[in-house]
Amino acid sequence: MSKRQLAMVMDLNKCIGCQTCTVACKTQWTNRNGREYMYWNNVETYPGDGYPKKWMELGGGFDAAGDLQPGIIPNIEADYGVPWDYNYESLAEQNLLSDKPEPGFRPDQSPTWGPNWDEDQGDGNFPMDNYFFYLPRICNHCSNPGCLSACPRDAIFKREEDGVVLVDLDRCQGYRYCIAGCPYKKIYFNPKISKSEKCILCFPRIEQGLPPACAQSCVGRIRFVGFLDDEESQVYKLVHKYKVALPLRPDYGTQPNVYYVPPVDTPPKFDENGKIIEGSDRIPMEELEKLFGPAVHDAIKTIKAEREKRKKTGESELMDILIAYQHQDMFRLDHNYYVEVAKKKGMKPLPLVDERYVAGKHTKPSSISHFKVHA
Amino acid sequence: MKRVVTIAAALSLAASFSIAGNVVTAVKVKSLKHLKCGSKLIRKYAKFQKVVVYPQTTVHLNDKKANELNKDAKAKVVEVAAFTDGKNVAIVTRWPDKTKDVYKGYKSDIYPDGFAVQFASDASKPEKLPYIGMGSDGRPVAIYLRKAYGQGVYEPNGNGDVAHQVNEHNTNNFGKNLKKFKKEVKKLGVRPYQKAFVSEGFRSMTEIKDDSANYRTDMHYVKKYHKWGGMVVRPIKDAYAKPAKNEFAVAIAVWDGKELQRDGLKRLSSWIAVKLPGAKNKALEKVVSERVGGDVKKGKELAMTNCASCHRWKGAEMAPMYMAPDLSNIGGQATAAYIKESIVDPNAVVVPGYNRNSHPNFAWYTVDDKGHRTSAMPPFNYLKPQEINDLVAYMQTLKAEVEK
Ligand code: SF4
Ligand code: SF4
Repeated sequence: MSKRQLAMVMDLNKCIGCQTCTVACKTQWTNRNGREYMYWNNVETYPGDGYPKKWMELGGGFDAAGDLQPGIIPNIEADYGVPWDYNYESLAEQNLLSDKPEPGFRPDQSPTWGPNWDEDQGDGNFPMDNYFFYLPRICNHCSNPGCLSACPRDAIFKREEDGVVLVDLDRCQGYRYCIAGCPYKKIYFNPKISKSEKCILCFPRIEQGLPPACAQSCVGRIRFVGFLDDEESQVYKLVHKYKVALPLRPDYGTQPNVYYVPPVDTPPKFDENGKIIEGSDRIPMEELEKLFGPAVHDAIKTIKAEREKRKKTGESELMDILIAYQHQDMFRLDHNYYVEVAKKKGMKPLPLVDERYVAGKHTKPSSISHFKVHA
Repeated sequence: MKRVVTIAAALSLAASFSIAGNVVTAVKVKSLKHLKCGSKLIRKYAKFQKVVVYPQTTVHLNDKKANELNKDAKAKVVEVAAFTDGKNVAIVTRWPDKTKDVYKGYKSDIYPDGFAVQFASDASKPEKLPYIGMGSDGRPVAIYLRKAYGQGVYEPNGNGDVAHQVNEHNTNNFGKNLKKFKKEVKKLGVRPYQKAFVSEGFRSMTEIKDDSANYRTDMHYVKKYHKWGGMVVRPIKDAYAKPAKNEFAVAIAVWDGKELQRDGLKRLSSWIAVKLPGAKNKALEKVVSERVGGDVKKGKELAMTNCASCHRWKGAEMAPMYMAPDLSNIGGQATAAYIKESIVDPNAVVVPGYNRNSHPNFAWYTVDDKGHRTSAMPPFNYLKPQEINDLVAYMQTLKAEVEK
């Protein structure tokens, strides 16, 4: 167990599937050298096969007795999909003035699969009861990581100071048991360097006062970031105080630290005559239960009750949090804490680059004396 | 009748002795500088000795497909020979493999064929050889690994060539310049997949990256015979391993890509004595080829009553998985001395061969603050010497069938 745990909450009611987070992550960390196919952050349409294809059926995680389960390693072509590119060069070379110009923009290989391949397909019959929602996924930085347990080389570790799960690339020899062991398939094999790589929760940013790139760039403002032991953080309030943020597939036994506010309001279904069926919900409760466990019932109840309260009294802390007025409130980072950790280890602490989100319980307002955004 | 049976048993013992004699005599040559797999030197002078490599089944790893493929894996016969030029020693091995699987550099779920040669860093106390394959606390091994590669493996992390870490679409290169850039990247990537490690037990294996290990490997596939040949050349003496009285203890591991093998999923020999010219001592030779003449039937009874509640092996599967190392191939991989030591003093070598986080209910050892491991197995030193002998004799019969 790490001393503290950094966590993220994602409010599924607000994700619009714009993939801004995906792009922010991809351009920052995984755009080259064997990482081309990797999406440390991906947003998939649920229900759907997801990314990698049918990840929920590929095993890994723990059984009820706590034993690690065998898993399957996805295939790059079939299950992740090799990222394709376009024939920019031939486009430049071709003679557009000729009588029969070549059809211009072509992918350099036939696409087989990709992140959000089944975009917006969803389930149910249109227009009676069709539905879908977006499910953004990153590594959950689990408290009991399946990837870590599966590694026979001790190459994966959970950072003492904030519970970020990382791969030691010096020790990793590319055995890939971690990929079989992670039930979320959120650890990837880099075939060029023959080592495993995964989401690092943007720890180099966090340490310097910046939220993870996916969270900061999120257009829907669905992502909250903070430490779970920091009672002032909205993450703490959503997860522990109101219990409306739930881990994904808790039945896998890895104790994830990314939490989701389940989709609450879905339109009602229509009957054969096109009439609204009162009190009906398009998203079947069984689906939500499968994803978030039985606690989803209470979470939805709480949110609905708080919304009623807000309507009647104009007041609800939970609603205020979920509206996500300001990034400053949504992200509660702790620069001073990292400074202390670095000092203890005899390392030079990294300078703060942005103080707007630094308010964690170890950081007194007075300890920030400068505010510089790098030019 | 009884007499006939004894003779038959003796004969079969003799037969297995000759195949798993595990003693290799190094041939003296002028120089190993230009030695390669398939060299004329090897064809002409090598004295190959047959050695059996057994499936590694000590721990069960969590790859579903690989486990299915390896469920009934058989042992293989490999051939091992050695050369020396007085300064260096070369271990040459040939092993059958029906399919040639090479590292392709764009797959996540396939593996290349490969092999490794392990040297016990110190062979002077043959009864106390390291845990086979991985070494053990205070008894390190030096491991040389080679994998089959098909095209250049570009490892930007390996040589720190940052300028070439850029995706071709992220460079300013265009047209002809881009072609040049790609060539440059490719050139950087063309290198054999070979690594040297030191290890003192599972999970301690550490790559030697500071150029202090001077070694060379080679590997080639002969389609006609469906066989791989592999070779490791290293100095007779360096910081990682040295001979004792002109003898080395080495072990061979081979991986079959077709069976999705890597890491613990492999076939591994027992210790082999490599005799350099001038080696006269018989101690190592004796230890690596020792067959204990106990009563196998009694040994089996003893094993069933004493061992089978924690250990599993083929034919004794009542113990819960992960409670203790699987003994299915112990007879093929461990020396009699090692088995005996483990029975009377389980703490001498504690195999941390599985991750305690994966199966927290079965802590087969505990670790103190200093990282020292204590086995959960009690010492069975109260057994009579004859009983221990019978037990060891039975354990030596535990091994997979050899592939025809
Ligand atoms: S989500 Fe997967 S990769 Fe991330 S910590 Fe959990 S088990 Fe490991
Ligand atoms: S940026 Fe935000 S709203 Fe857009 S897909 Fe990502 S999580 Fe959803």
